[in-house]
Amino acid sequence: MKKIIAILLTVAVALFVFTNLYSGDSDFKAFGEKSLEETVSKEFVNKTVDPQRVQPETGSANIVTSIVVNYRGFDTMGEVTVLFVSALGVALLGGVLRKKVTFRYKPGFIINQGMKIIVGIILISGIYIFVHGHLTPGGGFPGGAMIGSAFLLMYLSDDKFRTRIAAFKVLEGLAGSLIMIVGLVGLSTGGYFLYNFLPNGEIGQLLSAGIVPVLYVLVGLKVGSEVSNILGDFFIGEVEE
Amino acid sequence: MINPVLLIAIPLLAAFISVFIQKLSWVLLFGVSIFTAISGFFLQKGMFMIGGWKPPFGINLMIDDYSFIIIIVINLLFFLTLLSGMWELKKNKTILMVILAGINGLVMTGDLFNLFVFLEIITISGYILAASSDKYYSVFKYLVLGTLGSSLYLFGIMVLYGTLGTLNMADISQQFPNVSGSVKIISLTFVFAGLGVEAKLLPFNAWVKGIYGNTTPLTGPLFSTVFATGAIAVFGRIFGQILVPDSTLIFAFIALGLITFIFAETSAMASKKLRELLTFSSIGQAGLIITMFMIGGFYAALIQLINNAFAKTILFSYATKAYKSNGDDTINNMSGLFRKNVMMGFGFTVATLSLIGLPLFFGFYAKINMLQSAFALNMWIPALIILGSIIEGIYYIRLLVKLWNPGEEGQESSELAQSQFVIKNGFSLSLIAVLIGIIFVVSGIIPDFLTENIAKAADSLSDAATYLSTVLGGI
Amino acid sequence: MSQYLYIALMFVGIYGLLSQKNILKMIISLNIMELGLNLFIISTGYIKEAKAPIILFGNEGNYVDPLPQAIVLTAIVIGLGVTAVALMLARNIYKTYGTYEIDEIRGENDD
Repeated sequence: MKKIIAILLTVAVALFVFTNLYSGDSDFKAFGEKSLEETVSKEFVNKTVDPQRVQPETGSANIVTSIVVNYRGFDTMGEVTVLFVSALGVALLGGVLRKKVTFRYKPGFIINQGMKIIVGIILISGIYIFVHGHLTPGGGFPGGAMIGSAFLLMYLSDDKFRTRIAAFKVLEGLAGSLIMIVGLVGLSTGGYFLYNFLPNGEIGQLLSAGIVPVLYVLVGLKVGSEVSNILGDFFIGEVEE
Repeated sequence: MINPVLLIAIPLLAAFISVFIQKLSWVLLFGVSIFTAISGFFLQKGMFMIGGWKPPFGINLMIDDYSFIIIIVINLLFFLTLLSGMWELKKNKTILMVILAGINGLVMTGDLFNLFVFLEIITISGYILAASSDKYYSVFKYLVLGTLGSSLYLFGIMVLYGTLGTLNMADISQQFPNVSGSVKIISLTFVFAGLGVEAKLLPFNAWVKGIYGNTTPLTGPLFSTVFATGAIAVFGRIFGQILVPDSTLIFAFIALGLITFIFAETSAMASKKLRELLTFSSIGQAGLIITMFMIGGFYAALIQLINNAFAKTILFSYATKAYKSNGDDTINNMSGLFRKNVMMGFGFTVATLSLIGLPLFFGFYAKINMLQSAFALNMWIPALIILGSIIEGIYYIRLLVKLWNPGEEGQESSELAQSQFVIKNGFSLSLIAVLIGIIFVVSGIIPDFLTENIAKAADSLSDAATYLSTVLGGI
Repeated sequence: MSQYLYIALMFVGIYGLLSQKNILKMIISLNIMELGLNLFIISTGYIKEAKAPIILFGNEGNYVDPLPQAIVLTAIVIGLGVTAVALMLARNIYKTYGTYEIDEIRGENDD
């Protein structure tokens, strides 16, 4: 009975959305038929938001990165905070359990030895991805997630490793504080929070795009340590200070 | 004059620092809270760009008279909440600092997607704080509904983005009247549903009872005042100024608000436990205030919002403290409790009388203005408001009589029937009670200072043209 | 049009939330809903025959809309945070009540 009501309700809302969103008089731009000219993104792509600055405004080759870290950097700051809060929350909630998770199987030879080979590669790829976040697809979040996956592998393969985690708390807090300090330095030098106070350089170079790579490396470190923290808390509960 | 971005940046910085210097987190939390509570008064007004990118391209913070007064109220309430819950802080200090940053950002931001990010910050922090009551299933319900709500909100604003190509509030409010009706209906419905979860409106408030009903002296005042004020203030900003609904939809929204009000007040009437009664009263007040925002009575809505926020601080602090000290909050077992704590009784009584809008108290102005702006529209809205207010008055007066008077209702009071309950660690609570009691009495006798500022705030909310020119024409 | 599918996927998730009574299945439904929503957001930025918005690829001026991609990045990370908290809550629920079935959880709201 509950399922029938659920189906009816969902179908009703879905019909409401479909009939209105794709009706004849709807202004909603159909799939693939919009043009950049009608959106604020036009200026992001051309890098012409603020004509008073040195052109091009952000040296970032990856336009998505320039939006994520520079034009809408405030969102990214909030998003890092969300992850920070949920890492804290997982630690607090996991503290109730106070029990190490033990697996029914012992990590075998393949996972033990394979880990030693592969963890380094994963870590270096992760770091590469967030260092080159302003040039290539990727950035702080995918890179951080890769670092987290490397630590997941370590947790799975090595029982003893599950105690060495306290350093991540420091890294997490330090990276977060540095992000805020970069923002506040922008406020004091340029008059705006998260202002780009470094020279942009040439598009395509590793050292370009002002504060974008700085912030993205910090975001990558923070996300990596937070994801590792979350995973660690799932395995061992909260670390006691 | 203080740059408003500091109200977000400094709490966040303190939160990050407190992770690796845990010993200082107590100092940091109170320092930051005092800083924001004081600097709220000295906030610089105007539009502030983040990163120096002009709207609608970058994100901007907007301090007009409306967000100014909400920021002051929220930061003061947050400090009072800390006082009330100072024995409950434990490991939640970092999360509280994040909440402070999140709620300030939520009220100040001028970007719809940025609002979503801040909404997520405070809701996720809310899940974690709520979980300290060990009622994990209630928290899970809150989490599912909260996530569903914010996803619906995100869908709504992305439909707007797909249509208008912008996320800036001012830019959207400028173009919104020209959008076709079908997009209007979809985006408004989804944004309303999304914000309705946090604002506790009726179809979306299944989580409230489990969360508010199991609060501690920290989470009780925090959820019922800080979170509720922030969520309803955002509601007012979005539906009063940015996405103004047209006549058919607004009728449905007003109906939802009024149904929430009447239904919640009736449920409160039947409640046997103090926290449950206050929970339903909070839902009812949210419904009432949102109705007022929808019919355009911004002034009445704001007065009632502030009145309700200050009153609920002391009510929830007292109720949760009583539960914390005795492990029970059944109203019948608490009879005559105020005789032991006269100070708290004074604050509680004044707050309650103001909440139900008796003359001589601040809430009276709210009720009068509410009825005035409602009568200007039609007859059945004020009739329902009066009906709900009468129900509310009855159960609050009954509660007060019970708490002052030991013994059964209608019998002579006897010391024998006095409750065995005690209030432990009651000093901070008495302080809050006296502070809020004085605020209510003084503002009831000399309302000019508050009402003038609230009137300015209401004007700035109804004056969309100034908002637009400040954001889009600025600098 | 694939955009229909993304919205439909979102509603599959909502249906799951309404009908399922197992906490883990509800978390999965939540994720399906967020996935559909994220795909929908990306699809609002799609422009026919346009390329990825990275300047090095030598396709100046013909990019898809980059803003939805930036937004979806934020939305994904927020979804990750919510899921982590939800899973930890599920674990605590299991520890307290010994079950993941909603119908078997009793006594939360009673006291």
